[in-house]
Amino acid sequence: MSLKMDRASMAFTFKGGMLPMTVMELTSGDPERIRDQLAGKLSQSPAFFQHTPVVLSVEKLDEPHLSLERICAVCRANKLLPVAVRGGADPVKQSAWALGLGWFPPQELRTRSLESVTPPSEEPVEQDDTPAAALATPTGRIFRGTVRSGQQVSAQEGDLVVIGAVNAGAEVLAAGNIHVYGALRGRALAGIHGDHEAAIFCRELDAELLSVAGNYKRLEDIDPRLLGSTVQVSLSEDQLAIAALT
Amino acid sequence: MAKIIVVTSGKGGVGKTTSAAAIATGLALRGNKTVVIDFDVGLRNLDLIMGCERRVVYDLVNVIQGDAGINQAMIRDKRVENLHILPASQTRDKDALTSEGVEKILDALVEDFDYIVCDSPAGIERGAQLAMYFADEAVVVTNPEVSSVRDSDRILGLLSSKTRRAEQNRDPIKEHLLITRYNPSRVDGGDMLNLDDICEILAINLIGLIPESEAVLRASNQGIPVTHDQKSDAGQAYTDTVSRLLGETVPLRFHEYQKKGLLSRVFGGGRR
Repeated sequence: MSLKMDRASMAFTFKGGMLPMTVMELTSGDPERIRDQLAGKLSQSPAFFQHTPVVLSVEKLDEPHLSLERICAVCRANKLLPVAVRGGADPVKQSAWALGLGWFPPQELRTRSLESVTPPSEEPVEQDDTPAAALATPTGRIFRGTVRSGQQVSAQEGDLVVIGAVNAGAEVLAAGNIHVYGALRGRALAGIHGDHEAAIFCRELDAELLSVAGNYKRLEDIDPRLLGSTVQVSLSEDQLAIAALT
Repeated sequence: MAKIIVVTSGKGGVGKTTSAAAIATGLALRGNKTVVIDFDVGLRNLDLIMGCERRVVYDLVNVIQGDAGINQAMIRDKRVENLHILPASQTRDKDALTSEGVEKILDALVEDFDYIVCDSPAGIERGAQLAMYFADEAVVVTNPEVSSVRDSDRILGLLSSKTRRAEQNRDPIKEHLLITRYNPSRVDGGDMLNLDDICEILAINLIGLIPESEAVLRASNQGIPVTHDQKSDAGQAYTDTVSRLLGETVPLRFHEYQKKGLLSRVFGGGRR
């Protein structure tokens, strides 16, 4: 069949996508213990358990033979829908496929660059994360112009660069850092997927709200002496720190 | 081919209708065949400002629904040749406006006129969106006040996304800022936002500055667009605005506080 297929005649197209996914990291392979803990969680937040798709991560388990079938059954009984398994030895991979689940290699192998063969060590996490984060977020977004009241500009991956002002009532969001080469008068949320290393930079601080990885400050909480100046905003021990850029 | 200019603001009461009437009058006085359309269905005001309220028979909605022809509904201005008014309906609401209907009317007018001025209702709903949708240029009316500036900012966002030019990826709408009710002495006193601050926030080209003036209220109540009152500062400021819309370079007036002497009032003061 020719490559130039009519759009109308195609039954489907393949699209790359990054969906938010809950990872259920198992620290025990015992279905009974999982069942007990799930029952507790279910009563706490029933809204979460609506046939929510989950990836079962068995990286932290050291059991070559896992009763994957029973674990899945426990999950389904509690309205969680296992869709894939991450990590584990070959038998785990085989039984995941047998159960109709997908299998992902362990996270460390996927994110570490190929040439690095250094043995896993007790290094600080960020050392390991920095190249991985840079790899996972090679793109980003540059917005030229004024972000106006009511508008929302976001970079779901990487950094967001705004060449212009962000006006009051506007919102800018990024998985990584936010750079505003102009006045920041609206809301800026960096590290929206939880990146604690993310930061916000702006030429003129007058923001309604600043947030890095969910830690936020309102305009009212910002030291008035910093208003109007060029600053960087980053997390330091779960507190937003705003410092003048000189 | 007429240029379609929408006069809009987001916020109500900032002087959209006054400005639409004054600009349309100014364009017609300069010899352009102009029609001004009231999109504020349900809250018809333009006819009052233009002083033609007693001559309204058919309106915009009648034309859209096919009850009247466009030429039956348009009212000729008594003072200026070349100027026509298409009033809004007072008895309907904005749901009576349809995109197809508005497009049909504008298509019918575009061949015969030089300028079509659309007087937008306040808000960002259907009426306002339809008034701006087909525009080539926009005059965003703003008062020197924070809430007005924020609403104008919102409207500018819509102009760059929710309009035909934006959707068809054509050249964007030309956006102009018109500051009205500017009172230099209150700006100096800190009661009002200053001209430079407004321009910095909205970041678009300033087309005119209309000083706060008794002449505007008088003109509204008499039903004579303020452009006709060339003795008044507001009338002169609208004339300047029209000149700039026509591409001329005119120095800005009335933006600096002057101790009022009689001469400076009569001759417009404020020269830089």
